[in-house]
Amino acid sequence: MQSFDCAIVGAGPAGMSAALTLAERGLRIAVLDRGQRAGGQIYRSASQSPLPDASVLGPDYTKGADLIARFEKADVTHLSGADAWHLGDDGRILFSQDHSTHELHCREMLLCPGAMERPMPIPGWTLPGVMTAGATQVMLKSDATVADGAVFAGSGPLLYLIVAQYLRLGVPIAAVVDTTPKDNYLASAPLLPRALKQARQLAKGLGLLNEIRRSGVPVFRFASKLQVLGRETAEGLRFDAGGKTHDIAAETVFLHHGVQPNLNMTRAMELDHMWNAQQLCWQVVTDPFGQSSVPHVSVAGDGGGIIGADGACLAGQLAALNSLYRLNRITLAQRDTEAASPLAELASMAPFRAFVDRLYRPAEALRLPQEDDTLVCRCEEQTRRDLRRGFDLGARDPNALKSLTRCGMGPCQGRQCGHIVAGLLSDWRGDSAEDTGYYRLRSPQRLLTLEELSRFDHVTPTQALPTRQQNEAPE
Amino acid sequence: MFRSLRPDGADDVTLTLNGQQITVPAGQSVWSAIALAGQPITRRAALSGAPRSAYCAMGVCFECMMEINGVPNQQACLRQVEPGMTINTQTILEDSRITDAEL
Repeated sequence: MQSFDCAIVGAGPAGMSAALTLAERGLRIAVLDRGQRAGGQIYRSASQSPLPDASVLGPDYTKGADLIARFEKADVTHLSGADAWHLGDDGRILFSQDHSTHELHCREMLLCPGAMERPMPIPGWTLPGVMTAGATQVMLKSDATVADGAVFAGSGPLLYLIVAQYLRLGVPIAAVVDTTPKDNYLASAPLLPRALKQARQLAKGLGLLNEIRRSGVPVFRFASKLQVLGRETAEGLRFDAGGKTHDIAAETVFLHHGVQPNLNMTRAMELDHMWNAQQLCWQVVTDPFGQSSVPHVSVAGDGGGIIGADGACLAGQLAALNSLYRLNRITLAQRDTEAASPLAELASMAPFRAFVDRLYRPAEALRLPQEDDTLVCRCEEQTRRDLRRGFDLGARDPNALKSLTRCGMGPCQGRQCGHIVAGLLSDWRGDSAEDTGYYRLRSPQRLLTLEELSRFDHVTPTQALPTRQQNEAPE
Repeated sequence: MFRSLRPDGADDVTLTLNGQQITVPAGQSVWSAIALAGQPITRRAALSGAPRSAYCAMGVCFECMMEINGVPNQQACLRQVEPGMTINTQTILEDSRITDAEL
């Protein structure tokens, strides 16, 4: 069967940038993306916002429209609405699209699975009305839908950004409950001088905090002991701040304390992974070009370690240059010459990232559940107590605990509970994250019906030609 | 309380949610459509039967699985509304048994 030179999974900033670099050199590329339009989560609907005025979302969002436009004009086979659920180290990809199953082959594979929000397992976090701050943004960007009178709780730039966006839109907010621990300010201070080189980024962050301060919305700082109130649905948030316990009534509670790589794709491929002690999450091991432990498989963007949208664009270019070299389209010297500028730019972003990572490092008590009754595995409804019982019965690693308790065995396939289960086990064992390990994951990576499996075809570069024509690409 | 910022008079789509007709702006996800309709419960948790709703809205939590056009386990946040769509709260519980009569 005819192969694509390179298949890219994910059309966010990393995937789109890589595709542009590869398409310029005339490679046959397939880009698989679950969205109907390219953009990923960060640039979701940036080219066709349903909002009357998308500029309230800020220039970091609206600039995505330009990248999407260039990507959509490029000579690539863009498979939209395509959900990849098997990625083989033999270059085979199986995916679902339009309720049927498709297969394609590629020589180089570039994974750009992006980030997901770090779950916040506090009491009541499974009640309807409790969502992530990222969910707020998804609803705003794609559906122009907002929630009036919500509480925003947690820590980190994305939380402050969405609060500022709500304020600009005039959406009422009940309160902002900031959980950034006091200690983080001290611990991050030594990293500040180097971060100052990216003064623009720093100014942007301070600007958001000022917008919130000036708005008059109640802000509670150094909050702890968060608990969502309510029996059937969320009715409010209880927390400690300033030596008092507060109850804020709200039907909607948005939580956020950072993002982490979306691991299931890279884990299911059994690529080497490492524990990132600064960002407190697992990530795939790669060289500076994103090449993984399987040489023809690369990872770029937040899915390979959190670097943000601008970093993801550079990482995508670097992975593409390396693929060009590996496919004998450019020499090693050419690769390194062209890579010098994106590598330097990426390195210049690192000090600011290190500062932000330390300042907004999630509080331990919010990262791992403190109460026995708190659900850890949302799908299979396993509480901290259930997991501890499994541990006491002898389940010492995530896979043993999964077999014993069913944690991580539900439809989300451990996407939500993976880091929490591994973190709890690591604490209980008194061992490192590396020694404790992570879930072993397998294909298929999504729920499939027998009906869609029964409809099967192959996608090859020749067959896919109509897609290219549709994009009005030059020959 | 969820609310749409789209200008009034945008194209509307009519669909059936738990047997009741609702009208929502076109181009929405099924999840935001039911949220706008004031009925954000997507499913019942498989063991306890506790009500659940979307948590991430971007396809990673699987809390928004609903029965859409008769097919269960559909992620409402990843599906767009279509005219005439039938959406039901998913109530598949661990102890659900399909009887011979139902088959």
